[in-house]
Amino acid sequence: MTIELVLFFLLAVVAIGAAVGMLLSKNAVHSALFLVLNFATVAFFFLFLGAPFIAMVQVTVYAGAIMVLFLFVIMLLGAEQLRQPSTVLPWQPPLTVFLAVVFVGAAWLYFANAGPGSLAAPPPFATAEAAGAFGSPQAVGQTLFQTYVLPFEITSFLLLIGMIGAVVLTRDDKKR
Amino acid sequence: MTIEPFAPVHLLAVLPEILLVVLAGVLITADLALPAARKRELGLYAAVGFGLVLGVTLLVTLPTVSGGLIFGGMLRHDLIAFAFRVLFLFAGVVTALIAVDSPTIGKEGEFFLVLTAAVLGMNLMAAAADLIMLYVAIEMTSIGLYALAGFLRENDKSAESGLKYFLFGAFTSSLMLYGFSLLYGFTGQTNLYNLAAALTGLPLEASLLALLLVLVGFGFKVSMVPFHFWAPDVYEGAPTPVTAFLSVASKAAGFAVLIRFLLAAFPGIESIWTTLIAVIAALTMTIGNVIALTQKNIKRLLAYSSIAQAGYMLMGLAALSANGVSAILYYLGMYTLTNLVAFGVIVLVGRVTGSDEIADYAGLSRRSPGLALALLVAFLSLGGIPPLAGFFGKFYLFTSVMQSGLVWLAIVGLVNAIISLYYYLIVLKVVYLGTPKDEAAVYPVPRPYQLALWACALGVIFVGAVIGPWVNIAAAAAGGLF
Amino acid sequence: MDIAWYRWVEWLVKAIISTVVLLAGFAYMTWAERKVSALVQTRIGPNRLGPFGLLQPVADGIKLIFKEELIPAGANKAIFLLAPIITVVPALIVLAVVPWGPPVANFYGPGEDLPLGIADLNVGMMYILSVTSIAIYGVTLGGWASSNKYATLGGLRSSAQMVSYELALGLAVVGPLMLAGSMSMLDIVDAQSFAPGQWPWFVVIQPLAALIFYIAGLAEVNRAPFDMPEAEQELTAGYHTEYSGMKFALFFMAEYIKMIGVSAIFATLFLGGWQGPFVYQVPWLGIVYFWGKVILSLVFMIWTRSTLPRLRYDRLMAFGWKVLLPAALVNVMVTAAALLGDAVVLGAVLSVLGVVVVGVIFFAFARRRQPARRPRPAASEATGP
Repeated sequence: MTIELVLFFLLAVVAIGAAVGMLLSKNAVHSALFLVLNFATVAFFFLFLGAPFIAMVQVTVYAGAIMVLFLFVIMLLGAEQLRQPSTVLPWQPPLTVFLAVVFVGAAWLYFANAGPGSLAAPPPFATAEAAGAFGSPQAVGQTLFQTYVLPFEITSFLLLIGMIGAVVLTRDDKKR
Repeated sequence: MTIEPFAPVHLLAVLPEILLVVLAGVLITADLALPAARKRELGLYAAVGFGLVLGVTLLVTLPTVSGGLIFGGMLRHDLIAFAFRVLFLFAGVVTALIAVDSPTIGKEGEFFLVLTAAVLGMNLMAAAADLIMLYVAIEMTSIGLYALAGFLRENDKSAESGLKYFLFGAFTSSLMLYGFSLLYGFTGQTNLYNLAAALTGLPLEASLLALLLVLVGFGFKVSMVPFHFWAPDVYEGAPTPVTAFLSVASKAAGFAVLIRFLLAAFPGIESIWTTLIAVIAALTMTIGNVIALTQKNIKRLLAYSSIAQAGYMLMGLAALSANGVSAILYYLGMYTLTNLVAFGVIVLVGRVTGSDEIADYAGLSRRSPGLALALLVAFLSLGGIPPLAGFFGKFYLFTSVMQSGLVWLAIVGLVNAIISLYYYLIVLKVVYLGTPKDEAAVYPVPRPYQLALWACALGVIFVGAVIGPWVNIAAAAAGGLF
Repeated sequence: MDIAWYRWVEWLVKAIISTVVLLAGFAYMTWAERKVSALVQTRIGPNRLGPFGLLQPVADGIKLIFKEELIPAGANKAIFLLAPIITVVPALIVLAVVPWGPPVANFYGPGEDLPLGIADLNVGMMYILSVTSIAIYGVTLGGWASSNKYATLGGLRSSAQMVSYELALGLAVVGPLMLAGSMSMLDIVDAQSFAPGQWPWFVVIQPLAALIFYIAGLAEVNRAPFDMPEAEQELTAGYHTEYSGMKFALFFMAEYIKMIGVSAIFATLFLGGWQGPFVYQVPWLGIVYFWGKVILSLVFMIWTRSTLPRLRYDRLMAFGWKVLLPAALVNVMVTAAALLGDAVVLGAVLSVLGVVVVGVIFFAFARRRQPARRPRPAASEATGP
């Protein structure tokens, strides 16, 4: 076993443990922190896959920015305590089981067809250079600003509209 | 289909979208700059702006029939996208016009800004040829519409409407996104036109699973059974101009995506999804029409009616032919005109009577013959009475289904059309034969409404009377997809 | 991967040196802070223990170790213990990508260089941003876990502040990144060599970015005049109100180490890092230049603290969002346009920006002249318009 493999299994255990901990925690803050741990571990997986840029973005955006906002909301609302009996809907467990089965089925479909040379296997890199540049800031930037420039620009407008919508729906008119 | 390398001329293809962003900037600046007394002009700016963009679209961006993939494969600049774009912009003009004099939303710059964004999103939905572009466009539309539905925060029904729409929408769109991610995971492709080839080598279950998940998201947009539950509550609670916009433009956008996606990505399992869509179509129109029979509130009635209309249009997709798709296009065009008339009348009546109960429409013909006539035209067209556009729309749909051998579906459609006549005629009976509660009620029709109602009502008659050119355009646009 | 054994030793040694330097730096930062503030305020400062009071930090450390460690009764124990650790660890590891000097060529043998930094990532700057974004948790959680209103408020305030200023910080960094064409800290330093074809120190061509980075950096480490989280007049001591003994010392330590970190990054990005005369001939000189610049920046920070009063909280947020963030954006746009070297693009960007700036100023004044806004019409209708 190579050192990468050992590290991978260690981190995999941490990641799954964190995910389970997130689900089972009775305290919303603990849940959020487990999720942060999970995100951070996933960032390590990206590092193993040779995509340091994605790894750092994962930490900065998910673990660093989004989860801080989660914590904010939990703390400001004082909503730490979960699991009052009323919060679980009767049809929730069966639905969960059903969706889990669907997910496992989808994963199985994928892995059953992911052998080398099949469609699900990623296409090989054209050149050694391309393989080296994969996941680098330059490669990500070029993909983002050439192929996907239109969705990228539209996303910026989308965020603006989301912001305006949120302000419109939450502003307090009595204070104006 | 090959992706054309970028050329400056491609910018012309997205000129309407660019202009919409400019319009959004103008609106938000005007909202800031205009004094309170002149805020009414905001809606007029929006309407004129949409009108100008519509003009530019018609003059500048007419594509070839089959179009090409541009912007790295993000968009397909074809005739069907063009047709939908015209439809959305027209719906934008009319919605802005009937929102102008609304006491609650008419002076809110944000309302028109978000409306612009929703139209922009729909334009892109109609043209999107890539999973990523499609998702961004759908979210742009949806987020705008969530905000519009819940715009009247002090009004509990509107708040409920916005929240319900958001919760349903977020849930279905996450399932849809899961479907997208499976498609990408299975094939490594994000372009719709590359998916089909990549999916052929994979087991059937892969396509089927992705198809089902994706259908959830699109089904929500077009309010097909079983994803229709949101429609009545949202339609009832949302500000009426928003309901009008939702019922036509949002549904049309859903169909635009549905048609393109199913035809482009899943030709390998055609037989399966056409059967599925046929069954869903039958269920959708039957459930929509039957529940509509018992409605007392006219907005809820039109909500169920619009569910039923979605069912009719799904028939065209089940037919899987250029005729079927062109029938959908024609039907959508006439449905947009008709529903806008109906909602325009509802806005005006609701403002005077303060309610949307059908009982309060009693004797409308005596107090305001013009409005009653407009309602008559709209409802008869929705019911499919011969000289009006609705009749030919249904006729065209049923024929296309028969041509594809789905006779049972055509019969179900026919039965449904008869059921629907019943509740449309009941409303008209109340309007024409009832006695008004308030003999002195005055129904003022401000000028923007006159413009909008006249344009749409004449449109309903004109599109029904002169069928040829519309059918030709629809057929040409549909031909690009086959 | 076969990595020579001496590389492992090298990494270990460098990591230990970096940690020790930061810890010692922390100890003497407290001393320097008191000495410099004393100088500004014409006092003497610590002068009892050792020459110039140099042993004062040791005495402070001993005192803190023997203090009683209190855990409040209602506290969330696990998180209460975790918070100081989450605060200190990012502060200690953030400098891992900052080079202290140019690589020492052929140190182990031909072709085997010794880089004078722990690691040179091609995404070095992203690493710094991601690590600092994690540091927010410590403060927030520490405040929340204390189950003390003042502490919770302090924690929330500080995280709001850090999240807000992180944006300006991140955007200020983009200018140097674009000029250097790389996110690797080594490349960024190399680009500032004054050599032909290279740039001078970035503070010269990116003065606005440098200023924004410095201000946002102060806010990021909660230093005066942005020490809102621990505004003692309002919040007793903010997020660490309930902390005592070594756990308090950890928070205290993190604050000073973060100061050193920000100064080191500032020196690297804008002051040419280890650049200086003869540094390419004698790489070890780089360490002297680098730390000289860091100390200069640190002294400047202490000077700022002892000179400026604290900002009010709403002013602080307004300043971050309405002044620093737009200014940083403008800087990015202008830098990008200028780098393209296309006069038309640059002219277009500048004129659009000019129009926007004039418009914003115009509206700001128009607003000021009519402060009362119209009342909103009450929603009278039951449904719809």
